[in-house]
Amino acid sequence: MSDSSSSMLLVGVGGAGCAMARGVMRAFGDSLKHVLADTDAKTGEADGKFVLIGGDRLSGRGSGGDVVAARLAAEDSVQAIDDSLEGVRLAVIVTALGGGTGGGATLETVKHLSDRGIPSCVFATTPFAFEGETRQRNARGILPLIEEAASASFFIPLDKLVGDSDDDMASAMRRAVDTLASGVTLFWRLVEKPGYIKLDAERVRHLVAGAGRGRFAYVSAQGENRAEEIVDAIRRSALLGAGSGQVASILCGVLAGDDLRLSEIGTISEGLRGTFGEKASFELATVNDDDTFSGRISVVVMLFESPRHDDADDPKTSEPAKRRRRQRAILSTGPTGRGRFNNSEPTIWNGEDLDVPTFLRKNISLEF
Amino acid sequence: MSNIYAALEIGTTKTVLAVGEAETGERLRVTCHAEIPSAGVRKSQILDINQVTQSVKGVLHEIERKQSEAGTKLTIGNAFLVVSGQHIKADPFTGSTLVDGRVTETDLAEVSESARSMALPRDRELLDIADQAYGLDNLGGISAPVGMTGRILKLDTLNIHADKNRVEDARTAADGAHLEIREPLFATTCAAEAVLEEHERKNGALVLDLGGGSTGYAAYCDGYLVAAGVIGVGGDHVTNDIAHAFQTTQAQAENLKKNEASALIGKTETASARVKIPGSSPLLESRTVSRVALDTVVNARLRELFAMIRETLEEQDLLHRLHAGVVLTGGGAIMRDLDELVRRELGMSVRKGRPIYVDGLDEEANPAAFAAIAGALAYAHHNYAEKSVFGFERILKGLFK
Repeated sequence: MSDSSSSMLLVGVGGAGCAMARGVMRAFGDSLKHVLADTDAKTGEADGKFVLIGGDRLSGRGSGGDVVAARLAAEDSVQAIDDSLEGVRLAVIVTALGGGTGGGATLETVKHLSDRGIPSCVFATTPFAFEGETRQRNARGILPLIEEAASASFFIPLDKLVGDSDDDMASAMRRAVDTLASGVTLFWRLVEKPGYIKLDAERVRHLVAGAGRGRFAYVSAQGENRAEEIVDAIRRSALLGAGSGQVASILCGVLAGDDLRLSEIGTISEGLRGTFGEKASFELATVNDDDTFSGRISVVVMLFESPRHDDADDPKTSEPAKRRRRQRAILSTGPTGRGRFNNSEPTIWNGEDLDVPTFLRKNISLEF
Repeated sequence: MSNIYAALEIGTTKTVLAVGEAETGERLRVTCHAEIPSAGVRKSQILDINQVTQSVKGVLHEIERKQSEAGTKLTIGNAFLVVSGQHIKADPFTGSTLVDGRVTETDLAEVSESARSMALPRDRELLDIADQAYGLDNLGGISAPVGMTGRILKLDTLNIHADKNRVEDARTAADGAHLEIREPLFATTCAAEAVLEEHERKNGALVLDLGGGSTGYAAYCDGYLVAAGVIGVGGDHVTNDIAHAFQTTQAQAENLKKNEASALIGKTETASARVKIPGSSPLLESRTVSRVALDTVVNARLRELFAMIRETLEEQDLLHRLHAGVVLTGGGAIMRDLDELVRRELGMSVRKGRPIYVDGLDEEANPAAFAAIAGALAYAHHNYAEKSVFGFERILKGLFK
């Protein structure tokens, strides 16, 4: 079972990110090493170790959907998570893009962790289509920056996560949060719960280092043909997108009870490799937990399209390389004051977008 | 016949074409120049080639009109291009050659050739190679090594290069106006060429070229160019900040910047002073804004810019070597109280640049704005008329076709 001495840290960013993180924490209890960060003080009223982002700047009232305000707020106060970083070798960040805090603060959190030599694995949802173009644009703008700064990133469209349903919006959001939380919980179990084929945090750190953007999904099945059903579900998974793009590496985690058969592992492994390419590198891990998984199999799948680069583990190249990448990056827009520079390449200096008015970035008040 | 050269600057704010004619000695006179507001350029980079082509055609026509009024006829076929923008970088490089006993002129030629052998990435275009001091074995800082004894002769250089695609865009735009680009030149070193006195180069000086889309810097120590670069912040950023702070149009903000704003807060006015903003159309009433607030917005942006310059110079251990101070050039140099702000932020004496070796710009309200293009003309005169008859002929052929 996970405990506070774990070398993995769960970080929830933004309201939805904190909700997802709490979903994961429910499976492990308070002992799970975690930090919850948001610009809205109300998020901190529930359980968990909470960090208020940008207290002085935003007064705990949230970012109002402003990605840049949230980013600046996170710059002010992201150091508050440092208390939780002792012994951490890998951070798993859960968040939702489209609003202000998830977009703006996630990037700063990832960069801050990177500056301290801690690679990040980011699970981020992107907005439903019905949420409108502004939120979609916010997510699209920040997404490449997060991808660039994080070791591994999974951007999960809520439309695909929830699938076809006739839920009302609140239910759909709740279901999306629960679904992703369940997936991350399974991933966490995979790392924290010993199995016959072990995948510990150090191994995950190595696997995700420089892995880039990936696809993530989990499926569960029970009954006599459960392995075949899992393979079928993986092939049909909209999140994994079989046939859409080359896959360079596959990470497969099989979680089951003591009744897991060797032939079932073989079926799942062959099914995955047959679906996503025999040439892709394949990593398998198992968890045997009869209390939780008796009678069923759950499979967590991570696919990476790019060959893995180990620069995150290389102290000589990781930070300068990442800083250079950040400087080349494009900052998300929003009600930023970029004005006439809205459609031009940003001028980045020490991580700041100089096209945003200085008095805004420096929080200089004007007496009109 | 006199030597005649043309230089083109496609800036973020304005497009300028100037024609210079050699006078007696090394001096040059700007005989005609034209400028029109730029379109299709942002942050010193071309975003719309067709619009820029129209701007280039505009200045060509304006020059021809002025020449016609003066009773002369001149068709300009080529021009030197003044380039700016944050894509411009400077890298040091050292060339070396083995010496057989005493250093000869042949050794100098060989080490110079070696120093020019630095391979640039394919996407970069060389703008300038500035020679610095020679070194002989372990002895550095040599200005005239001929006759000295040693084994390895070295020459330090500063190589200035630009994004090839950005330069090519300018060529394409000029080509559309039937103007051939002779050679791209870095705006800030051109400006320095025009405004710096020899003793300033030796004692250490910094040229800050404040353009609309970016700010270039060039630092000189011991007579050599030792650092150069561009920060992608210019006068347009000040305008944009004002527009955002006071919810004005860009034109209103530009007007406030030029006519009302100060680089220092509350230098001359009381805290309650107000500045009038005329309505953006005859149907809209004018309004007022706080002068202190206006100056605060401008001051914040400029202090940040100079802090970046300061940081850059400190990183290269240059700040304490610039004893002759700062020379301001570019359109932004005219900003009220700017020299005082620079003095405070960089801790150096400051003066506005005025082309020294180029005549004909004395009547301009802000000669510093023409420093780069004047420097480009001076460069053309020094490097083509005196040293290369072939180049001279080619220029004549192009200019008078």
